[in-house]
Amino acid sequence: MEKESRVNEQNGGGYRQIIIIAVLLAILTVAEYFVAQALPSAIFLLLIALVKAALIVQFFMHVYRLWREESH
Amino acid sequence: MSVTVAERERAHVQTHSPHGAAEPSYAQRLRNNRLGLWLFVFSELFLFGGLLMSRFYLWRDPATDDIIRPELDQLLGLFSTTILLLSSVSMALAEAAASRGDRKILNAGLLITAILGIVFLGIVVGLEWQGEVSPGDGAFGAVFFGMTGLHAIHVLSGVILLLIILYNSLRGKFTTERHWGVEATAIYWHFVDVAWVFFYPALYLIGRAVHLG
Repeated sequence: MEKESRVNEQNGGGYRQIIIIAVLLAILTVAEYFVAQALPSAIFLLLIALVKAALIVQFFMHVYRLWREESH
Repeated sequence: MSVTVAERERAHVQTHSPHGAAEPSYAQRLRNNRLGLWLFVFSELFLFGGLLMSRFYLWRDPATDDIIRPELDQLLGLFSTTILLLSSVSMALAEAAASRGDRKILNAGLLITAILGIVFLGIVVGLEWQGEVSPGDGAFGAVFFGMTGLHAIHVLSGVILLLIILYNSLRGKFTTERHWGVEATAIYWHFVDVAWVFFYPALYLIGRAVHLG
């Protein structure tokens, strides 16, 4: 049971990790809004969007499972 | 008389499969399913990427070549983005719960994600589409309704998938080891979120605001 739980944690299934990513996404989204008011640079705003997308793809979509041959 | 490994495997397959063909294991099918879904996601990138490019090509001031945008309610955009990001969080929690066999959180997560998806659709259709931009506003209307409309169709199909998965989960179809349906729906839902992550600044934040009419 402990082993199974550890495997789930490795699979990115940890609740704590999800909450950390959620907080990061919230900070970036609010920062994005205020950056647009103060410094409306397209490149800078698209960079923030790119970081947000990378966080989602890595930690929510688990893209690494494609080449690690993991179970769920 | 010695029997090779290949002959032994062939004999095993013929014994265990009615047609003599090798039945792929669940792990193999899972790998194939993942690859197939990610190829689908990759193909969708071209669709959403093309729309994003059209926004930057068409929303320009002809006199100065500056990037422009219609004057949209930025707080409404921030609110709808927050709703969609929250739905991604609840979906991730639901998938994690499926891995742990925590059915209560799985069902609650799927239900909350579906509700947030419907709220997002309500904001887009009920508020954003009733705002300053109308479909007849030339490039502004075409790009705005093209981007938000296509994205909304994906959200709607995601909500339908979520409700199907929730129904299956309530019937106890998923286990800790086997819940590809939950994982696939989660990947699709997060992809729809990723698309909006780029659409939000492109529509609401980037460029000089232009008042229409």
